[in-house]
Amino acid sequence: MKSTKTDIILKVPSKLLYLGVPDAIMMEMAGDLPFSMSDMEMLSTALIEACTNSMEHGNGMNEESFVEMHFSFLEDSVRITVLDNGPGFDHESWVPPEDLMAQRGRGVKIMREFTDELIYDFADDGRFRLTLIKKMKPE
Amino acid sequence: MNIKERKRDGIVILELSGKLMGGPDAVSFDETLKTLLHEGSFNVIVDIGNVSWINSTGLGILISGYSTVRKSGGEMKLLNVSDRIQSIFMVSKLHTVFKSYSDEEEAVNSFA
Repeated sequence: MKSTKTDIILKVPSKLLYLGVPDAIMMEMAGDLPFSMSDMEMLSTALIEACTNSMEHGNGMNEESFVEMHFSFLEDSVRITVLDNGPGFDHESWVPPEDLMAQRGRGVKIMREFTDELIYDFADDGRFRLTLIKKMKPE
Repeated sequence: MNIKERKRDGIVILELSGKLMGGPDAVSFDETLKTLLHEGSFNVIVDIGNVSWINSTGLGILISGYSTVRKSGGEMKLLNVSDRIQSIFMVSKLHTVFKSYSDEEEAVNSFA
């Protein structure tokens, strides 16, 4: 990782309607960056899951509580931090549902599969922070 | 998400468009299916070619719909699954549950 500069900061209210906004940024950047579209789509899908969790479990779907994202488009990878106002998530004890037909519980699995690294911690201001990192293949 | 409904050779085709992500989408899809089942249409093709993305909650909507139709003795099959959505099906192993087609005629004939 050569740099951790932040290129874009985005804040959206905790409303599912706004889940398309970070995806729109990713797809717009995919058109300009020399990265594989498939890799960008996978990271964007993982980001949508992270935001869904932040809105539902972190901010309790309170529309006055925002989800904040910091995008860093690096030379050979993309790093995105997602911050919410929730108590955090015990990711280490999470296991995927055994029932293939379960209607919930696949978000963490999708995030794990579609990124190279997930870092869960708390920011200095106390907000819960999830960082998604994906190395990008060339287009 | 928007839903358009049409019929081909007696098979209902629901064309979804937009984003499949839970909330009101779950209610509208569930109500549409229940209305169809009530009217006696038990075999349904769901065309998701114009769905730009789906999240895990959206997967739950499709699973719920699939279960509802199966419990009524029908079948729900998918049409025009994009590479992006197919990759999510693969990760969640749902490609082993949903039968999917890229050709509408083939999908319709599969009910024969």
